[in-house]
Amino acid sequence: MQTPHSLGIPLTSAISSSAEQDDALLVAASKRGDQEAFALLVQRYQRRVFNLVFGMLQQYEEASEITQEAFLAAWQGLPAFRGEARFSTWLHRIAYNCALKQLEQRRRDKALQAAMEAERLVGGGGERHADAIIESHARQALVHEQLSQLPAKYRIVLILRHLQEMTYEEMAEILTMPIGTIKTHLFRARNLLKERLEAIDREITARTRGY
Amino acid sequence: MRCSEAGRQLQLYIDDRLSLQEVTALEAHLTGCIDCQEELFLLEEAVGYVRTFRMVAEPEDLTERIMQRVAITQQRRMPDFSLLRPTFAELLVVVLLATITTLGVILAQPSVRAVLPFANGHDAVSLFFLNSLHQLLSYGVSAVILALWVIGALLGVFITLVLVGEDVRSEWFKAMMDRLPVR
Repeated sequence: MQTPHSLGIPLTSAISSSAEQDDALLVAASKRGDQEAFALLVQRYQRRVFNLVFGMLQQYEEASEITQEAFLAAWQGLPAFRGEARFSTWLHRIAYNCALKQLEQRRRDKALQAAMEAERLVGGGGERHADAIIESHARQALVHEQLSQLPAKYRIVLILRHLQEMTYEEMAEILTMPIGTIKTHLFRARNLLKERLEAIDREITARTRGY
Repeated sequence: MRCSEAGRQLQLYIDDRLSLQEVTALEAHLTGCIDCQEELFLLEEAVGYVRTFRMVAEPEDLTERIMQRVAITQQRRMPDFSLLRPTFAELLVVVLLATITTLGVILAQPSVRAVLPFANGHDAVSLFFLNSLHQLLSYGVSAVILALWVIGALLGVFITLVLVGEDVRSEWFKAMMDRLPVR
């Protein structure tokens, strides 16, 4: 199994601006069934799409599968793409919907599993786990952990806003939500991270005082 | 500015969504409010940590796997409306059927019938129609109404079938035959 590893480059630099210009040509060719043109689009966008999906699902293999499905759905749906939105926006929206569907599927599977394993006791130990993390990880790692534990709807707005540096308007288009909702989710997400940082600070203060 | 108000403004401030005026007001509040300063600091710290998240490399064979699936997948063709252009004969049939349907609707509504110069109950067509209707009604009201509904629905189906053209018609016919329990 492959494991995720950081490339050390920010998401936004992944695509050169000149590349976006001939998107339209590649899209037109792909619409006519040109698989080579579509392969170029796949190469151009797979990293961003994969990271969007991975950001939501937090599982590498699953994200790979869903990314494939998203591109396949895009290929099938291309003849219906009339260029009202930018191709990348349209593609991201498809990927977002595929990931949402997978999360829904996961929730259903989990409910089934929970029903089957109802008698098995789930151990506590959450406190001790948190302690261990504080001892072994840096503050940044804790925020990253918190980020991966956020509900997907919050995580996704953080990723789109601060990693892909999208505007509220672009996010609204991709997530098909009103801008008001985007703001609510984004502010809530950032507040959750902020609260986590506050909690860490309080814990550190308590610790240094010897409680 | 109150702190509760400043909280939301801080979020917009981070995203560069405040006007110059709002920025000035917020910054004036910040200079005198340690709590809000602390809040801004923590928010910026959190955002900074989110930004340190780096892009994850996709699986090396991702393109290949996508293209393998693309190669065996048909694109969904958009319905080609040029194929739906009906022939002259088909158009005539559609107009005829539609006329019959419309006449039926008109004759069934006494109020509509009364304002029309024709089909008002005194000409030959409507007399014939009304007489046949009364004759039918004498056999049983609900059965006749049901029959009329069925006829109306069938007319609708026929009009659609004539209009969609030969290809869709034969496809539909085949699908209907496949669904028949007995062949």
